[in-house]
This record gives sequence, structure tokens and C-alpha cells, in this order.
Amino acid sequence: MTPTVLVLAEASGGLLTGPTKEAIGVARTLAGPDGSLAAVTMGGPSALEALAPFGPKEVWVADVPPEAATSGAVAALAAHAADESRAAIVLLGGTTFGRDVTGRLAVRWGAAAATGATEVAIAGPEEVHVRRPVFGGRATEMRRLVGPRTVIALRPHAFAEAAASAGTPTVHVLDRSVIPATEGAARRRSLDPAEPGSGPSLSDATIVVSGGRGMRAAENFHLIEELAQSLGAAVGASRAVTDAGWRPTSFQIGQTGRAVSPQLYIAVGISGAIQHVVGMVSSRTIVAINTDASAPIFKVADYGLVGDALTILPALTREVRKVRGLPAN
Amino acid sequence: MEIVVLIKPIPEAESRLRATPDGRGLEPEGVKFVLAGYDESAVEQALLLKESLPGSRVHAVSFGPARCEETLRAAIALGADRATWVEGPPEGSDDPVLAARALAAALQTVPHDLVLGGKQAGDDEEGIVPGAVAELLGIPSFGYVTDLRSSGPSGLTFLRPTEAGVERWEAPLPCVVGLQQAWNDPRSAKLPNILKSRKAPILKVDWPTTSKALALEAKPRSIGEKFELPAPRTGAKMIEFKTPEEAAEKLVRLLREEAKVFP
Repeated sequence: MTPTVLVLAEASGGLLTGPTKEAIGVARTLAGPDGSLAAVTMGGPSALEALAPFGPKEVWVADVPPEAATSGAVAALAAHAADESRAAIVLLGGTTFGRDVTGRLAVRWGAAAATGATEVAIAGPEEVHVRRPVFGGRATEMRRLVGPRTVIALRPHAFAEAAASAGTPTVHVLDRSVIPATEGAARRRSLDPAEPGSGPSLSDATIVVSGGRGMRAAENFHLIEELAQSLGAAVGASRAVTDAGWRPTSFQIGQTGRAVSPQLYIAVGISGAIQHVVGMVSSRTIVAINTDASAPIFKVADYGLVGDALTILPALTREVRKVRGLPAN
Repeated sequence: MEIVVLIKPIPEAESRLRATPDGRGLEPEGVKFVLAGYDESAVEQALLLKESLPGSRVHAVSFGPARCEETLRAAIALGADRATWVEGPPEGSDDPVLAARALAAALQTVPHDLVLGGKQAGDDEEGIVPGAVAELLGIPSFGYVTDLRSSGPSGLTFLRPTEAGVERWEAPLPCVVGLQQAWNDPRSAKLPNILKSRKAPILKVDWPTTSKALALEAKPRSIGEKFELPAPRTGAKMIEFKTPEEAAEKLVRLLREEAKVFP
């Protein structure tokens, strides 16, 4: 089988996003030496320029301003590109945008679909297998996606980013008339950008440092932020912290907040109630710092430190900065 | 406003998960299925909108096996006005696209200005249903939504946190919204309402009706093949230390040399 694998590519500031490069890496593997890599993007000429060095044979490009890039508009254009490229598989990065488009694209293009994939393999002429974490990482499932067309959104950080190779793709311009008229009335009115220098967002981060009730007061939470900054990590919080108003609910990790699965999760002053654990248990390595040696967090952690966060955190931040060669604060 | 809220029964957070004897899916025996997670927030948000817009109605709809009825009654006890169970195939299916097709077919005869759901179900975490339902209904959809507000009779405003920052959107009705967070923590049902909900009528769309409407599309194309639980974590390796500096040094060394996750 020589499939064409189409990647829905996202670029930002003239560069492909990490999740898109992850999808290109998977697409190259799936296409193999005989298949081909194609791409579709909504980002106009600058996205096309970012894509070309990653070696797609063909690129379908539309210039849809982010203000009008609804999932319905994007799905219509991507389905059109999928048809024209005769793709068997469409891959999307595990971003808000990618995951939001997946369901619509599956229906529009008549495909089987899955999200959050950590493994993707072609199992037969009309069968793709995906592995994906479920129940907040408490279990994994392998699913068979059956039929000639498959749409898959990947889990962020589950795959290596592709390196740039070379290539001059054939470019096709997508006709925006395929966008349904009903999509025209929705508008993005503003974007409050993630603060530069505030570190990665929770869903992007490969390291998360999270604080709980054991931080004792809002005034102490800067210790979490300083450790996060030294590690290039995102900051999270338990529900106790967001309920107390020490940090906004957007920081909350757990059943009613966000689920994260970074390479390293450091839980500080968090007891480890199941509502929190379901949001972080699929992290690769978990460190727990807590005064209570019997706290349930130590059952899910890989490394445990019994002690007071308020004294351990400053020492840990100093040590991290030293080892990473960063100036002392 | 006619608000439809899509809900799915999922295992209670504290449930012990195990695989069925054939290893293909979750063993439902002994598991309590409840209204929870993002769907619970979606019901809360539907009720908040109803309370802020006089004359609104909330219609809870659930696709799947018979346990949906219990979850629909939970939504009624919280304040939903009506409930519809869209029966799934007798052999079961957890294909989210099939679920969306069945739900969209049922919604053809249900008035809907706003179709609300959780951004993803708390069990399979696919997040496919809201967008797929919208595509089938031919209306816009927005996932990962917070701070959902009505902006007059025919529109909505909401925020959406993305990797690039927080977006603010204006959208027309009708549309589908996959909710990340309601304004409030979900409310609890009052006992008299729980008792009343036990006798509340639940409309049923049976599988033969759905399967006929879907024709060739009535077959699942995403099929669970293996359900695996990780080997239970054996508990943390405890790091002994006398001073915070010693704790820091030992932990960093382990993260670098053993776990190999140090940046």
C-alpha cells in the first residue's frame, strides 16, 4: 500500500508549531518510502513558506484569517484538500484547533476518527490502529479505525518533531467558496495573547510544576512559579488553590480542570485526591513534595520528598538554576 | 432559547476500572455510571442560561445503552425540562462518529437554538461528538469554550483558551458548543427533585428507528480492540535528606541520571 498522508499544518510567527512537526514526523513514517506526504494549511503564504522545508510533495493552501477560522470553515477546506490529494489518512496536531476540527472533518470527509493518539499504525488496506490514553491516563485503549478514510488527532508530545529536510512542493490554492455560508457570521473578536515570558501553556508544557494547599497561602505561590521558570515549566494548581482564589481556575489540574501528561510533573503540597490524580497520572515521571508521608500522592509518584515545600522549593530552584547554568536569582 | 444538552453516562471517578474478559473494553459490571466531568458542567451551564433567559427550555439527550436513562434522570433532577434517550445498537458501540450521527438524526425533530455538550467525555476523551453533530446539522461549532454568555436572541459570546492565548468569539445561533467550564461549579440536585425525576417521562428513540435513518452509516468504524490498565504504580522512591539542599541535589541527580527528564 502506498498511502498519501495529509497533515493539517498550523504555523505561528512564520514557523510550524511543535504539534504540526510531530504530525509530519508520524505522516512520514506512515507514508513510508512509497507513499507521499501532503499538507494543507489555512495560514496563507507565510505558512506555506514554513511548510516547504519539511518536504511535502503537494501543499493545499488557503488564506483564512484567524478571526474567521471556525472549525466548520477549516473542516470544509481540509476535506476538499483531502479529496484532491486522494489521502487515506489525515493527521492533525494535538492542539485546541486540531482537536476541534477532527469531528467535523470526519463527518465532512466520511472518515473514521480518533483523537489523542500516542501510537498510529497501518494494519491493513482499510484499517489503521491507534493507541490512546483514556480515563485521564488511568487506562489505554487500542482502537481499530476501519474504512478507506481516517482522521486522527495526535496527543501532544507523544511523538518526536520532524526535522526539516528539503523540497519544493507543488502548491494548490484552495477555493474559499467551499466554506458553508453558515460559518460566515461567527467572528473571533480578540486574542489576549499568552504573556510572552510567562512560559509554556499547560497543554504545551513538557514539565509542569503544580502547587496545592500545602503552599499554605497565596503569598507563597511565587515559589512554585520560580521553580517553574528555572525548569521552563508551566504552572498548575490543585482545586484547593483555585477555590481559595490564590490562582484562577485556568490553572486547575484534575477532573474539573485540565488533564496534562507532561514528561515531568512536580506536585508540591498536593495530597493527591483522586479528582486531582486523574488529571496528571499519565505524566511520565511524577515527583511529590508533601509534609504528610501518608498522603496518597506518594502512591502515584515516582519520587517522593517528605518535607516542607516552603524550605525545599527555594533550595530546589537554586539547584536547578546551578545545574542548568542559569544565573542565580 | 431552546437548549439541548448532550450527556453521556461515565464511570464515577473513584471506580475501579478493569477490562472485559475478552480484553476489548471496559467491564461495566460493578461500575456506577454517573453524570460527571465536562458533561456535568454543560448541564450546569444550560441551566444557568435558562435561568437568565425567561422562556428557555433545557432538553437533555443521551445516546447509548439503557444506563443513559439514569443519567437523563439526574439531569431532570437538576432542572432539565425534558429528556430523550437515543438507544444505541444492541451489540454496543463506542464509535463517537456513530454517536454523533445518531444524536444528529434525533435532533432533526427536536428544536435547538443551542446544542451544548462537554468538550469531551470523561471516559473516552475523544471530543469528537460536538463538532461531528454540528457538521451533520450544518451549523457552526466551537469546542473548549468557557464563559459562555447569551448576547441577545440570536447570538453568543464566549472565551476559548488556546495555545496562543485566550480568544474571545461572537457566534450566531443555532450552533453547537463543547464546554470546558461553566460559570459555576455544578449544582447538586435537591432530594424532592430527585424523587420527582424517578417518575419523569423519558422519550425514547429506539435503535431500529435510528439505524434505518442512518442506513449504511449505522455501522461503527471505530472499534475498541484492547483495553489496558497500567501495572499499578508501586509507590514513590522516597528520597531521604537532612537539609533542603541535600533534598534538592538528590532529586535533581535522579531526574537527570535515572528518570532522564531533566531539561
